[in-house]
Amino acid sequence: MADRQTRTPRQQDRTPAEELLEELGPVDRYHDYESLGDFGMPARAMTDDLLSGMTRPGRFGPLEKVHAFWFAGASCDGCSVAVTGGTTPSLESMLLGAHPGIPRIALHHPVLNVESGAHYLRAAEQAVLGELDAPYVVILEGSIMDEVAAWRAGGYWSAQGEEPWGPDGELRPVSATEWIARLAPKAAAMIAIGTCATWGGVPAAEGNPTGAMSLMDFLGKDYRSVLGVPVVNVPGCPPIGDNFNETVAAVLYFLQGFGPLPEFDELGRPAWLFGETVHRRCVRGAYYEEGVFAEEFGDPECLVEIGCWGPVVNCNITSRGMINHVGGCMNAGGACIGCTMPGFPDKFTPFYKRPPGSLASTTASRMVGSLIRPLRKFSNNNLNREVRWDRQGASPSAFSREKSEPSALADVGHRFYDKVRRANDTGRNDADVWGKRDEAPAGGSPNPRV
Amino acid sequence: MCFKTLPVEFDERGNATLRGGIPNPYDVTVAKPDVALTEDQRRERIERLVAANGHIKDLNMDPVTRIAGALAVHVTADTDKQAYLDAHAQATLFRGYEVILMGRDPRDAIFVSSRACGVCGGVHAHAAAYAIESAMGICPPPMGTVVRNMTEAAEMGYDNPLHLYLLAGPDYSEVILKASNPELWPKAESWRCPNADVHGYTTMADLAAALNPLTGQLYREGLEFTRLSREMVVLLTGKYPHPENVVPGGVSTTLTLQTLNEFHSRLGKIFDYAQRMLAVWDDIPAFFYEADERYQFVGYRPTNHIDPGYWDDPYAYDATYENCNAWGEKRWSTPGVVIGGELLTTRLTDINIGWEEFVEHSYYEESATTRYETDMLGNPISPYHPWNKRTLPKPGARDWKDKYTWACTPRWDRQVVEAGCYSRLLVTAMAQKMPESQFMSATGSSMRFVIPKGESGEREVEWHAPVRWNAFERNRGRAYHYLFSQLVALESLLEAYKLMKQGETRVAALNPKELERAIPMDERRSVGWWGAGRGWLTHHLVMDKGKITNYQICTPSTINASPRDPWGQPGPYEEAVMNTPIIEDVSDPARFTSIDMLRTIRSFDPCMPCTTHAYTGDGEVVRDVNTCSCGAD
Ligand code: SF4
Ligand code: SF4
Repeated sequence: MADRQTRTPRQQDRTPAEELLEELGPVDRYHDYESLGDFGMPARAMTDDLLSGMTRPGRFGPLEKVHAFWFAGASCDGCSVAVTGGTTPSLESMLLGAHPGIPRIALHHPVLNVESGAHYLRAAEQAVLGELDAPYVVILEGSIMDEVAAWRAGGYWSAQGEEPWGPDGELRPVSATEWIARLAPKAAAMIAIGTCATWGGVPAAEGNPTGAMSLMDFLGKDYRSVLGVPVVNVPGCPPIGDNFNETVAAVLYFLQGFGPLPEFDELGRPAWLFGETVHRRCVRGAYYEEGVFAEEFGDPECLVEIGCWGPVVNCNITSRGMINHVGGCMNAGGACIGCTMPGFPDKFTPFYKRPPGSLASTTASRMVGSLIRPLRKFSNNNLNREVRWDRQGASPSAFSREKSEPSALADVGHRFYDKVRRANDTGRNDADVWGKRDEAPAGGSPNPRV
Repeated sequence: MCFKTLPVEFDERGNATLRGGIPNPYDVTVAKPDVALTEDQRRERIERLVAANGHIKDLNMDPVTRIAGALAVHVTADTDKQAYLDAHAQATLFRGYEVILMGRDPRDAIFVSSRACGVCGGVHAHAAAYAIESAMGICPPPMGTVVRNMTEAAEMGYDNPLHLYLLAGPDYSEVILKASNPELWPKAESWRCPNADVHGYTTMADLAAALNPLTGQLYREGLEFTRLSREMVVLLTGKYPHPENVVPGGVSTTLTLQTLNEFHSRLGKIFDYAQRMLAVWDDIPAFFYEADERYQFVGYRPTNHIDPGYWDDPYAYDATYENCNAWGEKRWSTPGVVIGGELLTTRLTDINIGWEEFVEHSYYEESATTRYETDMLGNPISPYHPWNKRTLPKPGARDWKDKYTWACTPRWDRQVVEAGCYSRLLVTAMAQKMPESQFMSATGSSMRFVIPKGESGEREVEWHAPVRWNAFERNRGRAYHYLFSQLVALESLLEAYKLMKQGETRVAALNPKELERAIPMDERRSVGWWGAGRGWLTHHLVMDKGKITNYQICTPSTINASPRDPWGQPGPYEEAVMNTPIIEDVSDPARFTSIDMLRTIRSFDPCMPCTTHAYTGDGEVVRDVNTCSCGAD
C-alpha cells in the first residue's frame, strides 16, 4: 500500500485536486436562499452590498471591483492577522478602494464578513457556477489537508460551510480543500499566503497525521489561472503583512495599466521581495563581517552561533520590519529559523543550535575580523575628534575626562591616513579661489587646504 | 474543600488524597456531577415541542463568521416561544500539532507550538517555554520574566480591541441594529450616552454608526490600535504573531534603553484610548438593558469561571511544580476557580488535579490511560487528565447524539467552567491576592484601576463583578481587561527600567550550549500555565530520554466550545445559546437572523485555530490512524 504522503508526482496519474474532485463527484445543487430567509444575515444585506457604494469608476484601468475569496486550510489564522497589520496599502484601504488605481476588493473573509452561514458562501457558489459579477482571485491561508483520506473515513479535517452536495441534496460539510479545487479553474489568480499554504509549513512537518501539503502540490505543475498565471506564493510564518498587501497591489497596478509587470521567481515568490537573503540586509551583518558573535541570548552581536540561518534564507524582514517598519527577527534579537523557506521547519530543527554550515565562514570572518576591527577602531577614534581638537591638541568634552589624547604614534598614523585620503582631492588643484577674501576673517579657521 | 464531584479530600497540610473505599473512583458512572437536564430529557422535550407546533426550526450556521478559525453552530429554535431549545457547537478543523511535536527535541516545542494559533500568537510560545523550563528545572532571570510580561501584556493590547471592534462590534452597529432590531432604532436615536463626554458620541445611534464595519470610526480606530500594540510586541519579539525571541529559560531579546523608550512612547498613547473604550462598552449594556430587560439573558451562564493566572512575579517565579501554589498566587492575575459565584481555590495544584478531558462527542477515539496516578507531589489525578491522555484523531460522520466536533470536553471537577480574559478580572477581584500596585487593586467584588494621565487627566475607574454573566458583561469585561493588561504592561516596563538601572539586564538563564547540556535524559512531566486573549492556556508535557513523549495543549476556546460531556452537560457556548431568548422580531420566521445567538457566541471571542488540533495520540498510534484513514488507498 503506497503511503499517500510519499508518492512522487510521477506515481500520481492525477493531481491531488483532480483526485479529490473525482472522488467527490460533480455537484449541481445549491442553497435555496428563499427558504433560508435571513438566517445568519443580521444586516439583511451582504458585506459586499453594504460597501457597494464604494465602487467607483477610477481614472486608471479597467477594473472597478475584484472578488477575493479567502479560505483557511490547516491554518492558525496568523496570515489573516498579519494582513490586518499591513499598511502599504492597508487592508481597509483595499477593501474600500481608497487609493487612486486600486479597485475595490470584495473580500470574502470569515474573520471580516458581516454575514454567516450559507449566505456567507453564496458568492463562492456563484463563482463555481460562473455567475459572479466580477473576476475573482482565491487566497489560501494554511495548508491543504488530505481530504480524500478523511472523506473515505466518512469525515473531514477542515470544513468551511455546508452545501446540499450530499446524496439526495443532503447538506454535507464542505472542506476548504474542496472549495479550492472547485474554484481554481476559473480563478484569475490563485495566491498562497504564508508558509503553510506555499510549502506545507508546520502542519506538513514530519509526523503529521493529516497529509498536509502546499497549494502548488495540490494543484500540480500544470496549473494556470484564467490569466495564465501559476500559483503565486507569498511565504512567511507568519508572512509580513505588507509583503502580501503590496504583492496584491502590485498585480493590480499592473492590471490597471500603470505598474510594471511584477516579477516572480522560479518558485512563484515576488522576486523583488524575496530575491535577497535576509542576512544581506541584517542589522547585525557587520558583526558577522568582523567576526564577532553572540554567545548568550540577548547579546547584540551576530546571532549565527545561537542558531541563525539568515545567510541562507530568502526573506526581507530585516529591511521591511514586521509592521509599520518596526520589529524584524534579528533586529529584536531573534535568530532566523527559516520560516519563509520550503524546508521549514524540518530542515532547521533542532532550534537554538548553530547551523553546521556556518563553521567555515565564521572561522574566516573571525580571522579577517581580528585584522580589520583594530583598524576600524583606530579610524573611528580619529573621526570622533573635531578638526579643531586636533589643532588644539585637546578635547573639551566633560564626558571624556578619562580619555587620553592620541599617542604620538597614532598621530603619525592619522596624518599618514589623511595624506592617503586626500591624495586625489581636487581641492588641492591650483585653480585660484576668487569668490571670497584671501585672508581668514578674524576668529575663522585657517584654510585647511593650504 | 474545593471538590464536590471528584472523591478527592485534603489532609491538614493541604495534600490531596482519594477518599477511600470507592472502586474506580474516576469512572464516569461513579463520580457524577448534578445535572439539571440529561441529554435524553432534553431530546424528549424537543421532540414533544416539535410534534406540538410548527415553529421549530432546525438550522446549522456554518461557518459562524467574525470569529477566528472555523466554528459552526447548530440550533433548534422555537420562533413562537422565542427560545433556543438546543444548540451544538462544532469546531470544524483539525491540524495535529501535538502529533507533530511528539518524538521531537524539546527545544522545538516553542516554535512549533506557537504555530497552533496566529491570533494571539505569543501565548503558545510562552506556555511551551514554561512547560519546558519546569521539566528541565531552569528559571529565567528577572529581566527575562519582565520582558515576557511586557510582551504578553502588549499582546492583549492588540487582541482585545481586535475582538471588540472588528469581531463583536459590528453586532451592535448601525447596519445590524437597524436591520435586526428596527424596534430599537428610534430609541437609539434619542438615547443620550451617559459617557458622551468621554467617547464623544452623543446618542446611541451615533455610537452605533461608529461601530459600522470598515467605515465606522471606532472600527477603524480599533484596527489602528491593534497595530500600535503589535509594534510594541515586535520591539521585543521581532515578529508577530509568532515571536522569534522566546527561549527555554528566558528570552533572546536584545534589550537596549531605546527598546524600553520606544515601548514607553507607544504605551503612553494607550491610556486615553482605554478611557474611551471603557466608555463605549459601559454605554452599550446600559442602552440594551434599558431598552429590553431580556437582554440580561442573552448569553447568560452561571458564574463558573477558571483561570490559571497570568504574568509572573519575576522574583517569585521559580519554574518548579513544587512551589507553583506560592508563585502562582503572586501573578498579576490570580489563578483560581469560581463555581456558582464562589471562589473555591487559588492553588494551581488544585486546578491541575481537578482537570479532565473527555471525547465522547468529539472525532477522537477514547484512550484514557492510568499511566500516572498522581502528580509529582502525590496528589491524585484522573485517567482523563492530560498527562494520561492519548486521544486519537478519527474523522467521521457528524451525529448530534454521537460525535460532532473536533473540540473535546475539558471539565474541572466534572463541572462546566468558562474561560475568558474577563475571568482574570473576576478571580483576581475575588481573591484579593494581587501584588501591590499603584494602579490596580482588588476589593473582593471589584477591581479598581487608576488610569494614568495622557491628554486627558488621570482617572479612577472600577469594574464590578456582574450579577449575571451574559454577552454584554463579557464584552464589558474584555474592555476592562484591556485596561488591566495595559497597566500590567506599565508596571512591567517600570520594573524593566529599574532592573536596567541596577544592571540586571540578563534575559536568559542559559546560553545555547548550556541549554543543550541541560536536556534531561530521565522521564519528566510538567505543565506550562499561561493565558491567552481568551483566558486559560495550558501545555502539558511529558518527556523522556531527551525527547517529547506526550504533549497536550488545552486552550480557552476548547473549554468554551466544548460539546456535551459524558453526563449530557452542554459546553459553555451551547449552554449560553440555550439560555438566550430570541428577542429579535420573528413574527415572520423567514426574517429570523439569529442575531441574539450570534451576539452570544461572539461575546466569548471564539478562537478556533488552536481549539481543534489539541488532542492527539502518540507517534505509534498515529501510524495506526494513518493506516486506517488511508486504508482504501
Ligand atoms: S544575525 Fe543572522 S542574518 Fe544577521 S548577520 Fe548574523 S547570521 Fe546574518
Ligand atoms: S528572518 Fe527568518 S525567521 Fe524571521 S521572518 Fe525571515 S525567514 Fe522567518
